[in-house]
Amino acid sequence: MPALRVIKRDEPWRGGALAIVLGALAFSLGAGILMLAAQGKSPVQGAVVLWQGTFGNVFALEDALRKSVPIFLCSLGVAVAFRMQVWNIGAEGQFALGAIGATWAALTFPGLPKIVLLPVMFLAALLAGGLWALIPAWLKLKLKVSEIITTLMLNYIAILLLDYLVFGVWKDPTSFGFPMTPEFSPAAILGPIGGTRLHWGFAVCLVAGVGLWAFFRFTLLGYELKAGGEGARVARYAGLPYGFLVGFVMTVSGALAGLAGCVETSAVLGRLQPSLMAGYGYTAIVVAWLARLEPLPIALASFLLAVLRVGVENLQLEMQIPAAYGMIMEGLILLSVLAGQFFQTFRLGRREG
Amino acid sequence: MDQLPARPPRLALPDAEPVVALRGLTKRFGKVLANDQITLEIRPGRIKALLGENGAGKSTLMGMLAGRLVPDAGRMEVHGREVRFASAREAIAAGIGMVYQHFMLVEAMTVAENVLLGQEPGFFLSPRDMERRVAELAAQYRLDIDPRARVGDLSMGEKQLVEILKLLARDSRVLIFDEPTAVLTPAETFRLFEALWSMTAQGKAVVFISHKLEEVLAIADEIAVLRSGKVEAELRPEEIGSKADLARIMIGKDVLLEVDRTAAEVREQVLDIRNLNGLGLTDINLDLQRGEVLAVVGVAGNGQKALVEAVCGLTQPPKDTIFILGKPWREYYADPDWKHTLSYIPEDRLGLATMRNKNLVDNMLLTTRKGFRSGPLLQKARAVADTRELVRKYDIKPGRVRVLAWQLSGGNLQKAVLARELYREPRLIVAEQPTQGLDVAATEEVWRRLLDARDMAGILLVTGDLNEALQLADRVAVMYRGRVVAQFPVTDRDQVDKIGLYMAGVTDF
Repeated sequence: MPALRVIKRDEPWRGGALAIVLGALAFSLGAGILMLAAQGKSPVQGAVVLWQGTFGNVFALEDALRKSVPIFLCSLGVAVAFRMQVWNIGAEGQFALGAIGATWAALTFPGLPKIVLLPVMFLAALLAGGLWALIPAWLKLKLKVSEIITTLMLNYIAILLLDYLVFGVWKDPTSFGFPMTPEFSPAAILGPIGGTRLHWGFAVCLVAGVGLWAFFRFTLLGYELKAGGEGARVARYAGLPYGFLVGFVMTVSGALAGLAGCVETSAVLGRLQPSLMAGYGYTAIVVAWLARLEPLPIALASFLLAVLRVGVENLQLEMQIPAAYGMIMEGLILLSVLAGQFFQTFRLGRREG
Repeated sequence: MDQLPARPPRLALPDAEPVVALRGLTKRFGKVLANDQITLEIRPGRIKALLGENGAGKSTLMGMLAGRLVPDAGRMEVHGREVRFASAREAIAAGIGMVYQHFMLVEAMTVAENVLLGQEPGFFLSPRDMERRVAELAAQYRLDIDPRARVGDLSMGEKQLVEILKLLARDSRVLIFDEPTAVLTPAETFRLFEALWSMTAQGKAVVFISHKLEEVLAIADEIAVLRSGKVEAELRPEEIGSKADLARIMIGKDVLLEVDRTAAEVREQVLDIRNLNGLGLTDINLDLQRGEVLAVVGVAGNGQKALVEAVCGLTQPPKDTIFILGKPWREYYADPDWKHTLSYIPEDRLGLATMRNKNLVDNMLLTTRKGFRSGPLLQKARAVADTRELVRKYDIKPGRVRVLAWQLSGGNLQKAVLARELYREPRLIVAEQPTQGLDVAATEEVWRRLLDARDMAGILLVTGDLNEALQLADRVAVMYRGRVVAQFPVTDRDQVDKIGLYMAGVTDF
């Protein structure tokens, strides 16, 4: 008989959420470093290189800040849907559609002044991402198809659509055959803030984050979304418009990912090209769970995961670590956070008698 | 199920030693005494029926036997030796297994894989070998099932056979069935009974928990009636004259709790059910006026649930059968107002009436939120203040509004639901088992609140507790197999005396 047994908690574990997240991060980082040993590399050197390529380096941190913008916006969107227990894992595709929408606006109206063109691009991105996400919502409500499957499959369709456009109709004739659109006109570029290397996408993040926080805290609809997360039966008991709510969260979720696609295309790349799709939409899911779906923690977790991405890139260069290492790390973090949530409701104690 | 199969001749196992003996088992949950000094013997080759109303203590008793609950006092003996179970696994190892109402099967795996799950001989499995073992076991007890079938494709009755096979494969000598026929069709019920007979013929002991009288009379060798946590009677089927006698023993006549009750002024009609057919219901005609209480009674599972869900908007009834506050069902549910309308106090307090991981303010808003809106905004401060006021007025412990729903005791949670629903000043209240699991003090308070609410509303009280119905109701409707078999004012003593008969489906006397 083991001396320990699992006991259900009578009270919620105060500070448990933070402890679980930190524990999961520490566990994944430890396991990740040990994996280096399995590859025949020195774990100590790996840890040092990882540190130097992240917190030990101002350029790396700036790079991480820029990468955290799309992760943050996608993750906010994912969290909105998750709060209502709608499992949108299609941020990647909605991100692509946002980029396509913004590119369409930028290529169609290159002559417009900046103050008009940028809002048009944002609007096109919000619409494209939101409508793309409405497809799985409709399938879920009308045909009872699991949104987990449809959102995931739509990701591949979105990426193929993006490829089709940059390899075909939107291809820059002067690109020597590279798959990319022509460069955007200066009016379509979201510029840097003052003299920094940070772009105005940060302001977009701030507005979206505060707006969403206020929406959930102060509005009736925000409350209804949280209540709707209890399931269709409770929704019917409480007279909540469940179908409308599912459509609404998916649209908002997709629109936020679309916004991320627009910011990334306009501020970072300045054109549409396949390298845009770096898996931010999937990282966003890890971030949302790490942050327990709350906006401010999402900001912190986005930055952390962006730091990890930058650090792993450096690790690849310096120590010839396979590219899959980063994905493995993200997967480890997600799984250990999910597994750690067990301790929110249970604790280990001594076996009685 | 109108004709039950004839009972085959019993094997004579007259004075076999009991496999399991329970001696003075007692179990409390807080203030509620769920089992009070229960003594029972379970013998091999016999079917022992455990009969009782909801909340009589059947599930608690079997929970202790199956190792899920630890008794507060008393002993359990298996083959004369005292045992203590720390888990269901230890009970199974001692040869005691239970088939629950909710099956615990892996839908994606085959019958054979499910049956042998957890007792595979080694790392490598031989599907053919597993299938052969399960087929032999099924043949031995004459259970008709294909070991290769995927469990997800099976009917409820077949899934139940898989659960039985799981216990047989673990050499269980005592098989406990918790309301096994609740999910079965009549034909499947026949087959289950044949399987039970086949098992007892081979020396297994069966415990059959039920509140369906005719089934108990049809299959039991011994009947134990449980009431309010005590063994009320132990009988043999031959000793029982009729279903009605058995019903009388099960329900009892002693009044446990009384409230003062004066008639309220009866006003406009708030609920009208006309010729409701469908949803498992037949020919339901009921009406309810503001100022009165109509109690719908019956043994659980006779259509009360379907009736409540249709009235309360969880399922859609056929057209023009239900009229709420003068409006047809569809019109009423298109956009019901939050105030002065229908309030539903469901049996499932934690899963339906409240959100378990939300605090009292959020839970208060669940049905009243439209009263706290200004434009698109929610008036949180006012909601907190009003919740605080309700917590004080209804004395909801522990007295804080930030406490989460799951942290409240059953009585306090029910008071919270009641406080919220009465805050809406409803015109029609549907209260479903409103005092189930509550102690005497909480029960009395809920009753008093409901009686006071008659000034503003008509109350449809759906209950399995006959005393509750008689204490609160102006009129009583008895349901049996989806029909209202009798409806009468509570002042009609003749009829009230026959409630036990009506509940057992006896209407010709």
